Parts: sequence; C-alpha cells; structure tokens
Amino acid sequence: MTDISQERIERAIRTTCATVLRNEHYFSDLDGLAGDGDFGTSLATGFRVIDKEWDEIPKTDIGAMLLKISMLVSKHVGGSSGPIWGTGFMKAAMLTRGKTSITLQELADMLGSAIEGIQARGGAKLGDKTLLDALIPVHEKLKEHAAGDGDVCAALCEAAAAADSAVDETRNLVAHRGRASQVGERSANTPDPGIVAIATILHDWCKDCGLAQTPNAAEVAKATA
Amino acid sequence: MKKFVNDPAQFVPEFMKGIALANPGLLDFNAEFQMVTRKGGVDKSKVSIVQGSGSGHEPAHVMAVGPGMLTGACQGAVFAAPPVDACYETIKACNSDAGVLVLVNNYQGDRMAWDMATELATAEGINVRQFWINDDVAVEDSLYTVGRRGVAGNFFVIKACGAAAEQGKSLDEVEAIAKKVNDNVRTMGVALTSCIPPAKGTPIFDLGEDEIEVGVGIHGEPGRRREKIQPADQITEELFEAVASDIPFNSGDRVAIMVNGLGGTPITELYVIYAKAHELAEKAGFTVVRNYVGEYCTSLEMAGASLTILRLDDELEALLDAPAETAARIF
Repeated sequence: MTDISQERIERAIRTTCATVLRNEHYFSDLDGLAGDGDFGTSLATGFRVIDKEWDEIPKTDIGAMLLKISMLVSKHVGGSSGPIWGTGFMKAAMLTRGKTSITLQELADMLGSAIEGIQARGGAKLGDKTLLDALIPVHEKLKEHAAGDGDVCAALCEAAAAADSAVDETRNLVAHRGRASQVGERSANTPDPGIVAIATILHDWCKDCGLAQTPNAAEVAKATA
Repeated sequence: MKKFVNDPAQFVPEFMKGIALANPGLLDFNAEFQMVTRKGGVDKSKVSIVQGSGSGHEPAHVMAVGPGMLTGACQGAVFAAPPVDACYETIKACNSDAGVLVLVNNYQGDRMAWDMATELATAEGINVRQFWINDDVAVEDSLYTVGRRGVAGNFFVIKACGAAAEQGKSLDEVEAIAKKVNDNVRTMGVALTSCIPPAKGTPIFDLGEDEIEVGVGIHGEPGRRREKIQPADQITEELFEAVASDIPFNSGDRVAIMVNGLGGTPITELYVIYAKAHELAEKAGFTVVRNYVGEYCTSLEMAGASLTILRLDDELEALLDAPAETAARIF
C-alpha cells in the first residue's frame, strides 16, 4: 500500500483551486437555475485567496496546512458554503495533525469525519440534494479500496465516477437544504452545483493521476473540459 | 449618503481603533482579529464570557467588554458574522481554567462561525460552551435564522452572566443563568426608517415616508407587518402586547423594562415610549423594579426602538445590580 505524501495533497489542493477558478461562472450559472446564482463566485472567491496566499500557508504538516485552508475557506467563501466547505477541511485537518503522509485508509477516515461535520453543521442528509450526495458514495469507494488493493489512483477515479453518477441520480430530486430548497418543486430537473463541483474536482484529481475518464453527466463533462 | 466614513472597507477597524484609544485602561485591542479583551488579561479562576457578531449594533458586543460584563469580543464586518479564525482566537485569548461561555445571538452565520471555533478550541483542550440567545418575538424564522432572532435581550444575558462569573460561579452555574435570562426575556422592535451600511451606501430596505416596520430585525429584516405611522402610545401598545403576551408574563411579576434605541432615534422619544410602557406594565400588574432607556443594541442609524421585558427573581435582580464597567459609559 502506497502512502499519500504531503506533496501529493498540496498538488490536489492546487488542482482544486484551478478547477474552481476555471468554473467560477459556470458553477454560478448552474446555481442560478434553482438557487441564487452565486455558488461559483462564492467558491472562487475563497479558492482565489488560497491560490494567492499559497506560499504563506503553513506546510509543516498536512494538518497545519488543511487547518489554514479551512480558515481561509470559512472566511472568504461566501454564504453557507464557507462554513460547510470549511468544516470539511477542518475535520480533515484534525485527523492529520503532525502527519506528513497518510494512508488511503486515513484519507477515507478524513472524508468520513468531514461528512459527519458537514452533516452536523448544515443539518443535511443523504438525498437532500447537497454535496453530501456526492461525498457519501465517494467515501464508500475510498473505504473499499483502502480495505482492498490500496490503489490511490484507482480509488480516486472510481470516486470521481461515483460523484459524477450522483449528478444524474439527484437531478430529479427536490432540494431540502440551502437556497435551492426555497423554490421547492422548481429545484427538480436541475443539477445540484455542489455535486457537480465535487465530481469535477475528483475528475481533475484523476487526471493528475494520468487516468482521465469521460464524465457521464453533461454538466461535469462541460466543467472538466 | 452622508456619513463619517473614510474608506468603507476600513470602517470597522477604524471605529474599533477609536474605542480602544478611548479606553486605554479598560481594553486591549487586537487589530488582526478585530478583537478586544479586558485590560490586564484573563482571571483564570473565573468563567470567561465571550461574544462576537457583526458590526453595526454598537454598543452591543465589543463595547460590552469590561469587568462584570464580557471578557472579550470580536467583530465581523457590518452585519456579517466574524470569521471563524477571529472567533477561535477570541476563545483562546479568553481561555480560563474555569471555562469559557460563548453567548451567541441566534443567526445562522454567527452560529456556524462559533460552532466551528468552539469545535477547534475543544480539540485544543479548551473547556468552552455556547449558549444561543433568541429573545425576539416578532417572527419564528427570518432571513438569517432558523428560529427566533437574538436582539436587545442579549444585554441582560451578558449582564447577568458577567456578574455571575465575577462572583466565581462555575461554568454550569453561569450557563444556567444564561438560560434563565433567555427563558424570561422577550423583545420586539419597530423601525421608522431603514439604515445604510457604509459599504452598500444605500438603504437596505425601502420604507415609505409614512410607514413603519413592526417587528423589524436589527439587520433590517422584515418583521410582522408594515403599517402607517401612528401616535407613539399606539405603537408602544402594539409592542407591549406582543412582548408581554409571549411567555406570557403574569400579574405580580417583577420585571425590568428596556426601551432600546435602534441608532437614529433621540433619547427623548425613547422616554415617550418608556412612559407608556411603564404605565402599561403597572396596569398589567407588573412591578417595574429596573429600567433601561437608551441604546443597547442598534442597527446603524436606523430610527426606531425595541421594547424588552425581563422577568426577574431575587437572583437575577442581584446580578443586574452588581457593578460593571464597559466602554459604553455615559459619564
């Protein structure tokens, strides 16, 4: 089983910044279909700060780095996405204090803890048409591979496919949380931009492994292009 | 817009600097986290009381720091929750062996920021708890809340908890006092005009020349209804009825009454409201043992007022009587 180095996690964060900044307007357009149309801009505002202040973010260990990122995301990502995404990073940071490499099992545990934190913070559950509908199946894939072959890239690429499938699987659901919930039935037949964002980020991580896949959901295909 | 503002982005740091410079013997100011703490550091043998919320409500929050009141507070931008790192640093700066109690007004942004900060501080081994204040009877849910909003009743929670902490009460006891105050305090406000956040430069809501917003929130959020301006006594009756019927208060109750200015109403008008509120309280069989007329929780320059009634018992009365010193002094 290969360990995941801090350097690799740093690269994943840089990739995430690129993904979010590239899709700033597209994610907002998707949000505009049922929400208030600011998701892409909110997310990009935070990740632009991370990108700009990258050299100042502490790199002593993975936990210190992720904690700083959590603070920047909470502070600069607008609306409820800031505390929600910030909580995810915070939970991951708490499990990686003092570590400079992690196992795939530890990565799965970080995501598991992030999911619990996000659920507690925002009160959403599976099927509420939020980013949790992507993160929960992704967590399953990471656990499977951690218990099995331990192949990090294979795990990430299957996780990307699982998040991607969540876009279409939740498309017809009515949102129960976040701004989209306020339009009720109107949120059906629209993709959730948070789920699209998670799937896109994972597809880009998979590309970093040299294993680019063709997305299923039309929105993810557009966002990864 | 005519305001005493240089750069709207610097409005909060600039007024905080002014408060710090005006109170050198009382406050320490940390510009990076827009945080003030009591001069001379934390008494580790006593529970620390902490708060932090958006700016624009002064003297609420930062100006309520001092002996017998808050131990420390941090400010967000105007009407925006403080960032998580500021909340976390405030808890750390106020860390005490007796524990830290964070008094959070019930708004989603504030709650999420303090939730995260509390979780981080707990992981660091700090004994910290949160208590949510929600005294506004106007609406059940609002633009920024699930559940009722925390407004001027916040003052009484701070005052009672600050006094209890000063007396050396434990974290459990101070938390129980917060709950007792919150369970027995009710508020409703009314706006005659909107307010203008400096960075926005325009009123946050439109109110006709002859209209008032009954049940307004301290960020200009909608209340119960909009109606035509009426004589002060009628408006006061409406507020009194809404507040007094809520718990409900009962004949024979000993109460404190607060008439709080929202920022743009002269104190004389607040006393016009107080006169009627006092009369209505006596008519309802309440004994008014303390009163508070002035600005405690504002909404920038909004003209308007809120009425708060707090039911007292011997314990709360003694806590309100205890000495306290803050930057919001009048002498």
